[in-house]
Amino acid sequence: MVVRVFALCVLMFASVASAGHNELLIERVNAKFSYTWLALDKTIKANGYKAAYLQRCDFALNERHYKSDKYRILFFGQYDEMKRMSAKYPKLSPFFPLKITVMEEGEHTLIIAAPPITLLPLVKTDEDRMLIFRWNEDMKNILKQVKNQYK
Amino acid sequence: MKSKILLVVLFLPWLSFAGGQEIYSENCEKCHGFSQQGSLGLPLYRSTVANHSDSYLKKTIEYGRPGRIMPGFKLSNAQTVKLIRFLRAGVKAPQYSKEPIVGDVEAGKYTYEQYCQRCHGKQLQGGEGTGKNFSWQKDRDVSPPALSNQGFLHAAEDQMIKHIIMKGIKDTEMMSFEKEFNFTDQMANDLVAYIRSHQQSSVFSDTPKAVEDEEPLVFVYQSQHDLNTTVEKLRDSAAAYNFRVYPTRTLFEGLGDATEDNKKQMVVRFCNFKNMQKFLKLDPRLGVMLPCRATVVENNQGEVHIYLENYVHAIKRFNNEQISIDAKDLIDSMKEMVEEAVW
Repeated sequence: MVVRVFALCVLMFASVASAGHNELLIERVNAKFSYTWLALDKTIKANGYKAAYLQRCDFALNERHYKSDKYRILFFGQYDEMKRMSAKYPKLSPFFPLKITVMEEGEHTLIIAAPPITLLPLVKTDEDRMLIFRWNEDMKNILKQVKNQYK
Repeated sequence: MKSKILLVVLFLPWLSFAGGQEIYSENCEKCHGFSQQGSLGLPLYRSTVANHSDSYLKKTIEYGRPGRIMPGFKLSNAQTVKLIRFLRAGVKAPQYSKEPIVGDVEAGKYTYEQYCQRCHGKQLQGGEGTGKNFSWQKDRDVSPPALSNQGFLHAAEDQMIKHIIMKGIKDTEMMSFEKEFNFTDQMANDLVAYIRSHQQSSVFSDTPKAVEDEEPLVFVYQSQHDLNTTVEKLRDSAAAYNFRVYPTRTLFEGLGDATEDNKKQMVVRFCNFKNMQKFLKLDPRLGVMLPCRATVVENNQGEVHIYLENYVHAIKRFNNEQISIDAKDLIDSMKEMVEEAVW
């Protein structure tokens, strides 16, 4: 446990210190939208999160010069953690649940997320910073794992 | 022995860019595609890269294109060299003299307006949206580069710009103006001088700029009404501001039970489709911000607050000047909408 916390601390420092920590998290998946969507759903569960709901953003996209209307957002999270954090820091609530955008791009699919690490200024204790950092690492891992399923 | 030498010679090109593919895969393929065919970023075909000097590619990787999606990357020198070798795939790097080109800026402006403006824009701002978008049918297959972009001007040598004007780029819409329009050396020189006149010397100075960010991450409003009335007023206000309003959810709908406690955290979701489509054209990744929402929370003291994400921070992540300008109106109208509801 101590080793894990230490490792997370080192990673957290390295991640925050790097110039790109604020950039969008993106992976290109070598699969069509429907396969990626299924893989994402499974991967989120495998990482201990629950998919909450999806938001379709395909309203009339086809009629407005878009080649594809396959565009969805998946909301997910861990209830207990987010409930505790939103009670302690209500300013976090606009960012809950976490979300991943899935969009078809030609023969591939892009999966995109905002990095949770950008929420760090909203929390005050080391324990809570660690939690946000873990969400950030989990988010990156989920995207990578989905990508790796179709290498 | 001879066969071993032959093997080494055969695999030499592969060995020379080994590692570059991994660096490309980690950093570039999400935007430029698995086989450099372009996507959110421009195509990086061998025939395109063949026109670019090592120095141009190195600076482009390091500084990116401010306001034009391509970010700068903090790679080591060795990583950058490997990446460039991979992109060249064995094709020799062109050598351009560093000598600045002298030309008549006014004459270059005239030539630009006659021949270049149609693709590169009146202000040299380039095409709209992303590099080569598979999601949106655009007039052009590839978005013309922004010649006034400070990242481009910082990276490109005068002689490289001249070479591309005169010879064009194979497999792209950038034609040879020497061949197609009988451009003379003087015309090309004037044009380079005009393009170069857009460079600002201070943008890429070695001293890092301290960016003081005064903007809050979240806007907080206290409502004068109870939770249900606040939610209703927000919905009415959103509709009045031309947003389509979705059914209201509890914050943890789908994650936790619909307990009384959870009903004190409600999410009002809304979207202006016209705006959404305009933004998606500029950058299809913008879905990470959708849908627009206001979160209404009643605390233990019975006070009702509305929390609104300040999209200014999210917008910065797109490195897209057009979105940054257009989004300001959206953020202002969301704030007005909430202020009207809580008043």
